[in-house]
Amino acid sequence: MTRVLAPLGGLVLALVLLAASRGLDEVAREGTLGPGFWPRLVLGGLAVACLAKLAGEWRARARAAAVAPARIARARLAAAVALILLYVLATPAIGFALASMAFIALFMALAGARSPLVIAANAVGGTVILLYTFVKLVYLPLPKGAAGFETVTLALYRALRLF
Amino acid sequence: MGEILANLGAGLLAALAPLNLGMIVLGLVIGILAGALPGITMVNSIVLVLPFTYLMGIVPSLLLMIGVYCGGVFGGSITGILFNIPGDPMNVPTTWEGYRMSRAGQTRYALGLAIMSSAVGGLASALFLAFLAPPFARVALGFSSVEFFSVVVFGLASVSVLGQSSMRAALISLLAGMFLGTIGTEQQYGVERFAFGVPFLKTGVDFVTVLIGLFAIGEVLEQLVLAEPADTVERPATTVPRLPLLDLWPLRGPLFRGTLVGIIVGGLAGAGATVSSFVSYGLEKQFSRRPELFGTGHAPGLVASESSVNGSTGGAMIHLLTLGIPGSAATAVMLGAFLIHGIQPGPLLFTTQTAAVYTIIAGMIVANVLMIGLGFVAALCFATLMKVPAPILNTFIVVFCFLGAYALRNDMADVWLTMLFGVLGFVMRRWELPVPPLVMGVILGPMAEGYFLTSMVSSGNDLTVFVTRPVSAALLALSVLIVVWPFARSLRRPVPA
Repeated sequence: MTRVLAPLGGLVLALVLLAASRGLDEVAREGTLGPGFWPRLVLGGLAVACLAKLAGEWRARARAAAVAPARIARARLAAAVALILLYVLATPAIGFALASMAFIALFMALAGARSPLVIAANAVGGTVILLYTFVKLVYLPLPKGAAGFETVTLALYRALRLF
Repeated sequence: MGEILANLGAGLLAALAPLNLGMIVLGLVIGILAGALPGITMVNSIVLVLPFTYLMGIVPSLLLMIGVYCGGVFGGSITGILFNIPGDPMNVPTTWEGYRMSRAGQTRYALGLAIMSSAVGGLASALFLAFLAPPFARVALGFSSVEFFSVVVFGLASVSVLGQSSMRAALISLLAGMFLGTIGTEQQYGVERFAFGVPFLKTGVDFVTVLIGLFAIGEVLEQLVLAEPADTVERPATTVPRLPLLDLWPLRGPLFRGTLVGIIVGGLAGAGATVSSFVSYGLEKQFSRRPELFGTGHAPGLVASESSVNGSTGGAMIHLLTLGIPGSAATAVMLGAFLIHGIQPGPLLFTTQTAAVYTIIAGMIVANVLMIGLGFVAALCFATLMKVPAPILNTFIVVFCFLGAYALRNDMADVWLTMLFGVLGFVMRRWELPVPPLVMGVILGPMAEGYFLTSMVSSGNDLTVFVTRPVSAALLALSVLIVVWPFARSLRRPVPA
């Protein structure tokens, strides 16, 4: 099923984007190629490639059922993706330091680490090393968090003598 | 010839003076480390050392930058081989083969091959620079955006070699990548394309976010969710790199071709190491008797791409030293260093600053020899990370991807994009869509568009310009052959019952 879904989705997306590219060439001078030419060429090619793939799948439909993809742990996948997205979402709000500490602990547990001591050591130690490297040495202005969390992050920076 | 040898000998002695040698070593260390960290490119690191050169003489300044240049183009291959995270776009083809070799328990071999091929490619290109720079520069100067477009198309055409199971799937992936490359503000007219009012899309999709997301995050998710637990994945007993001096002999063909492609493509002003690595990888598969092994951890692919990346360094320097035209972003910064010291590179440089020029060229030779040792030490340090248990390693890979993406523009939007591309990378693997062509499309697509539109403007929209110039015509014909031949072969092949 997925062998057909991907090219079908690609074909629909290419056609929608082709329609969205209308009007891009309005700024082009007479007789010159406008800014819409290249994307239309690419999207046209994408649509043709998707059609060719669909045709190929139609030709080979007899063997399609024979190949089964490797089994995956769906719950683990959902949890991993959710954790990663939550990490990115939470960082501006609670700051990089706190978000990373929580993420490292949770993701390690999800990935199979069992010892609470190892998890805690990596979460705290890893975050401190990252802060020293990227805030103190590279001067990367990592998100400090909003409102009260900014105060916590700044206090942490002072305690670690990063400022 | 005798005069060149004498000048080179004197240059070699000067390059080995303590201060100059120290600058080369320092540059190599900075370059290898910066190259290995995703988000910090080799060009960034050359820019970062530029202010430190103000108080130095021109020779130590340039030697420091050359060290960063040679080390930087190699550094990204270490993390590519070990963790599937290429440090720079030019290290992507190395990653395709090197990471698979590493997963198959050949980490030491892959790292050793990368070190040795880089050193040999860089050394050959430095010697080429010393002996043949002026005549080569004259020929290369005749090339225009038309030839550059054809070179990039040739690189894109090699997509036919990247689809392991289906060329159609590879084409879909490539064209999707090329489309991603069109998002953002168009350069000629300043028109926004496909940003749909989203502010961060107006500046386009940075290829580093695609690179880190698809390769690193996608791989972490893959390892995490496969039925086999991540911490039971087989790891090699030792990861100490070995230097496969004798093993290089059977791979002399890919090594020679990769180096040659690196020198030629690197010598075309504006093409650079990224294009040369893709072109040499694609070309190598065309030459191979076992093309089906490419992408599965095949040493010739790694050797060809890695030697061409470092081979391009000498090529790019030819333009800078003989014509005063930077052949790449890195040499553009070096041009700045020359100008800061009141020296204008160009045809007269070889006569007015003979000693300085040959010391710089000799410095490149020394840097590539030293890179064998320093690359070995760096690979050893990074390889010890392979012994870290998978749950810890995978977690910190995600955090480093976050930092690499954020460091691009200090913008959380790039982090979002990286993570979303990570999920896309996982989905693509599940849907049997190859990931490498998409990355290739994002990197080479905008280059192709730029060269194409420039050619159109300069020729008055005359499409025949691509077939009336011999080099361009030959490259395009070769590109068509590369695409059509396997496609025709697949059509003739009967569908298995």
